Amino acid sequence: MTDLSDLPPVRLGRRGRAVRPAVPLLAALALWGYAVRHTDVSRLDDFGLVTALHPAFWAGLAVLTAGFWCTVRDPRRPGGWPAAYVLGLLLMERATQALLYPTPLYAWAWKHDGVVEHLLTVGGLQTADQVGDMAVYDQWPGFFAAQAALVRLLGVESAAMYMAWWPLVSSLMLLLPLLLIYRTFTEDRRLIWTAVWLFYAANWVGQDYFSPQSVAFALHLGVLAVVLRRYGRAGEAPGRQGQAVWTAVAGALVVAIVISHQLTPGMLVVSLLALCLVRRHRDWVPALTTVVIFLAWCLTAALPFLSAALPDMIRSVGDVGGNVATGYGTTPTGTGAVATSWAARLLSGSVLLLAVAGIVRQRVLRHRAMPLLLVAAAPLPMLVASSYGSEMIFRVLMFLLPGAAFFAAAALLPEVRTLTAEARAAEARRAGTDSAAAVRRRPALAAARGGLRAGGPLLVLLAGTLAFVPSYSGKDRINYFPPEEVALVRQLFDRAAEGSTVVAANRNYPLAYASYGTIDHYWFLEDDRRHIDEIVKDPAATLARDMAGVERPGRAYFLLTRGQRADSEMNGQLTGAQLDRIQESVARSELFRPVAENSAGALYELRTGGGAER
Amino acid sequence: MTPQELVVRMLPPFGGWLALAALALPGGSPVRGAAVAVFLAAGPGAALVGLCGPALRVRPARGPVERRDPDFARRSDLLERLMLAVLLSTCAVMTVATVLIATRAFSAQRVLLALTLLTTLAAFCPRLRGASPPTPRTQKGSAP
Repeated sequence: MTDLSDLPPVRLGRRGRAVRPAVPLLAALALWGYAVRHTDVSRLDDFGLVTALHPAFWAGLAVLTAGFWCTVRDPRRPGGWPAAYVLGLLLMERATQALLYPTPLYAWAWKHDGVVEHLLTVGGLQTADQVGDMAVYDQWPGFFAAQAALVRLLGVESAAMYMAWWPLVSSLMLLLPLLLIYRTFTEDRRLIWTAVWLFYAANWVGQDYFSPQSVAFALHLGVLAVVLRRYGRAGEAPGRQGQAVWTAVAGALVVAIVISHQLTPGMLVVSLLALCLVRRHRDWVPALTTVVIFLAWCLTAALPFLSAALPDMIRSVGDVGGNVATGYGTTPTGTGAVATSWAARLLSGSVLLLAVAGIVRQRVLRHRAMPLLLVAAAPLPMLVASSYGSEMIFRVLMFLLPGAAFFAAAALLPEVRTLTAEARAAEARRAGTDSAAAVRRRPALAAARGGLRAGGPLLVLLAGTLAFVPSYSGKDRINYFPPEEVALVRQLFDRAAEGSTVVAANRNYPLAYASYGTIDHYWFLEDDRRHIDEIVKDPAATLARDMAGVERPGRAYFLLTRGQRADSEMNGQLTGAQLDRIQESVARSELFRPVAENSAGALYELRTGGGAER
Repeated sequence: MTPQELVVRMLPPFGGWLALAALALPGGSPVRGAAVAVFLAAGPGAALVGLCGPALRVRPARGPVERRDPDFARRSDLLERLMLAVLLSTCAVMTVATVLIATRAFSAQRVLLALTLLTTLAAFCPRLRGASPPTPRTQKGSAP
């Protein structure tokens, strides 16, 4: 659909042309393989994986991006090559951590593993009376129930055995819906694959981990693809014909979203309503179907959670400042944390600016892909609606990214013209009045222009692709839990009797939610600031008081690990020195007894004779 | 139905029964894992897409305004069927597992058995056919 006349001529033989794209791809994968074998993650600093990665990784990523850009711009190359490059990108982006780290990353993934374990232990859904705040997972159980089945069917010990690979799996699940959405608006494979590339490079938000959001997002894009392709008024769609079956299919996808995740149905509803703003896509059936299924779930299975959370939800409506604020414990602290945080911001900001440039520059595309523009803008009002646990800004960014990536890609490519405009330009070229004819007479000038046209976008694409690494893996010092840390926490849960309480600085450690049905937690950095100051002032006595009241046979444990330290230090809470003082105070105190210690942390138990136990 | 069509139609239920049989292998075995993962990822969805395919095709898809590549729409339709096979399978696994866990009847074998039966049923059912598009009415006086 776009003007292809700007492309440099390809002068290779047929066989050479067919094989040439394989060279950079294989070279990039070889460099990646070498880098993975020669990267040491045992001493991560505040830059996370960025400084730990072997330089061959960066070289591989650069070669892959350059190879992709050269391949996708050649209209005579088979369409399979850009797909192969995107798969290569996904491997380098989403499988590197799974290969490098011996344990799964991310405390939230470990939490979800705990939920799956709990479902398998209990064998049914529970209420807030039984499991407190964790009942929210029993009210949206779709993802966890499926994972519980998968764990047993695979015959593995727990989801932790495979969840390190989930980012790759969930990212692959997005590929087909994304392609279909883009193919609804253009036949130009350069635009389609560049948009896909930009989407994956800019999707650093990290919701691809082992979570309901990762699957719900793929289903969300699937519903949008179906609605964009099969619903609407204008064009060849014959009224309501065949719509019942498509509504059943879309309804099945919506059911799976609704039973799995709280936010995604809301995002889907606003996207489908936004689509109704354009006449050619105005069809209320998908939006109404989604609303009815969503309400049905909210008013039955999810009612206990919603009725408890409703006052807070109503208070946050309209409080944009509060909704986008990140709160205490989320301020990047230290050179590494600040630098990687800025890399992420710059990456997102650049893609959004490119998208604006694409919208302004590509007049024809803006008109043709107006529905995609609306889908991209639709999540923005959600910033006004809720804070979603201080995460709304990141979720909005993720949900608007498919649309934004399309227009950002359009900004990197030649202007889209209508067939009539192209015919007119071709006619003008033939008549020799077009500037192209003059350029042809000056091959040096033409080559320079061609180089600039290809080089500028390549640099942008390269910068975005490389910026993904610090944005996505820059906090790996927080998110990685070495085997020693897992072993220490496992030791705790192996000995903790029913009714025990675990006290820790924060929840950033593996298995934090193991046995949450029977073991309580207290994370003191989530408490009131005044109380945190009291703990810092007189750690052992204050913590012993906090831990008092545990009834037998339960015990009270104090756990401090390197994951907690990294999270506290890099997010502007207590410094490493302050946490060291707390640990020293507990270790010296008569009120505590050391239970276990290794290179990743230490575990103490409150003594029974310390007057702290009833 | 040609033998090739029969094979394609029976592949998803065969995958389901194969996955059930693979449960006899020791836990964590790669063969067991592959059989289960492949079936859960695409089996039920492929059977459902096969069942509804003719009815779904009645409604033409929307595509780019200007069409130059005659194969583009066909390839988009193929991608759509692949996407639906994967996503509907995901939906089926999540929905069946949720129903069983909500009714306290959960066991992984039951989830797999239910999905295999659903897949088998969908494969053996006659294909759903939507009403064919209305033929344009002959204009008055235009008939020969």
